[in-house]
Amino acid sequence: MDYILHLLIIINIYIILSVSSNLLIGMVNLLSLGQAAFYGIGAYLTALFLIKYDLPIIPCVLLIMLLTGISGLIIAIPTLRLKGDYFVLGTLAFQNIVFSVLYNWSELTRGPSGIWGIPSPRIFGDLAISTSFGFFLLSFTLSLASVLFFYFTIKSPFGRILKAIREDEVVVISMGRNVVKFKIFAFVISSSFIGISGFLYASYISYIDPTSFNIQESIFILTAVIIGGSGNIRGPLLGAIFVVLIPELLRFFGISESIMANLRQVIYGLLIILIMRFRPQGIAGIYSLK
Amino acid sequence: MFLQIIVNGVIAGLLISLLALGFSLIYTTTRIFHVSYSVLFIFSSYMVFLFYHLHGINIYISCLISILLTALLSVLIDIVIYRPLINKKSSFNIIMISSIGFMIIAINLISLLFGNETKNINIEPSESLIFFDVRVTIVQLIQAIVSILCIFSFFLVGKFTRIGINARALRDDELLLLILGTHTLKIRSLYFFLSGIFAALGGILISYDVGIDPYMGMSMLINVFIALVIGGLGKFEASILGGLFVGLVQSITVYLLSSKWQDAATLLIFVIFLLIKPEGLLGNKIREF
Repeated sequence: MDYILHLLIIINIYIILSVSSNLLIGMVNLLSLGQAAFYGIGAYLTALFLIKYDLPIIPCVLLIMLLTGISGLIIAIPTLRLKGDYFVLGTLAFQNIVFSVLYNWSELTRGPSGIWGIPSPRIFGDLAISTSFGFFLLSFTLSLASVLFFYFTIKSPFGRILKAIREDEVVVISMGRNVVKFKIFAFVISSSFIGISGFLYASYISYIDPTSFNIQESIFILTAVIIGGSGNIRGPLLGAIFVVLIPELLRFFGISESIMANLRQVIYGLLIILIMRFRPQGIAGIYSLK
Repeated sequence: MFLQIIVNGVIAGLLISLLALGFSLIYTTTRIFHVSYSVLFIFSSYMVFLFYHLHGINIYISCLISILLTALLSVLIDIVIYRPLINKKSSFNIIMISSIGFMIIAINLISLLFGNETKNINIEPSESLIFFDVRVTIVQLIQAIVSILCIFSFFLVGKFTRIGINARALRDDELLLLILGTHTLKIRSLYFFLSGIFAALGGILISYDVGIDPYMGMSMLINVFIALVIGGLGKFEASILGGLFVGLVQSITVYLLSSKWQDAATLLIFVIFLLIKPEGLLGNKIREF
């Protein structure tokens, strides 16, 4: 039972990640490879706030959203000046810069050894979340809130403008809308919600190290959105569930742990190629990348 | 000391240029963001490891076979992954993501077959020569010579033969080239084949020096991108300039800070370039719409 709860918690974390990434990838067609950087920033900030300042959950999460959003702004402003392929390279560069700082600046982040012993987050007073079920409730609440937020965002006028930008940027500019401003908004919103996932990861696993937030993780989050589908809520939701559960299915085939890690990546890669070839909008999505 | 930094930087830069040429051969002619190129780079080294280390085949023959196999793999990637998507008129983002997908598959298969640890091809430590206070290892010398030869022949072939002219034609207008009677699919395969050769050579030269692990391809690919953007996408000469620039930046970083900050420094310079001069040193400013 504990294990099922564990899976559900991880799924919730990835639901937040993929629904947030979808805002950039599926709604505005901005193929960003920087998600893991914000994930990592969120996680490391969580470690700081929980270990050093012992913040309760609500201020902690809000503060992390704010700070991760600001870092999103810092990265968005230079990269959004670039078009197409250059944008992807720009986000890739920032992703690696953030990883490099997390990994090499040992004085700040304890480098490759990571940070262990992150305490359980507390709701208020002494009431801390320390059981699996508690974390499940926490992660479920946060992911439900995120999903609802993005669902209504997509349906809102703001969401419509994003869709319009995705379909034809020039028309939106000619209608007098400041496209860059909207792209920056989307970037900042996306990154601040990714920070929530960082909070959940850090407080639940209670140990973080830089290698969980490298370019491979970015690609993995991208995979969830690609396979599940982009452009709506169902797609990324399904994608997150899918990519977390596939390795579990492999377990039933009695595959040894040592080859499991690599084998599941092979399966993800294969799925990406197959989906790009035969169903580019993803299993449950509505938008194929341009 | 100063000269040593320059020499180290130039030799490292030459290798990056070599790889960048191979990548640019595909990107400028077909506009495909060939992320799977990183696979070719490590594939060749692992093949040399397989033949030379595990089966004891002569080193030169091992290299030759692995270069050939890598070139064939390169063409295979085009036929199996890229062409079906192009026939479907898929967008370039979709092609790039498929390329990423293949890269994930290949890296993990290699990891399954060979393990994650760094393997070494070259067992004995390399002797070095000293010219004018500068220490150069024999391996570095070989790297430099082979790179220069390849780059040189690339430009000779490019400027003066049909192959080179076709490359530029393919880049400018594929349909027109087809109408004029050139077999575009065949020359496309030729470019993928040549690209594979460059990747293989670069891979073997680099891994002979520092060993090989499954994830080297990705980090080398990033260096290649940076070199190409700094030099200026779209021009082959750019690869050389960009490659040397990146090599020197890395060398200087190692001297001024420490080797662990190499990547961050290179990336930072890259970001600055993207902001100030995204068309690169040699490129032309492009208007967007």
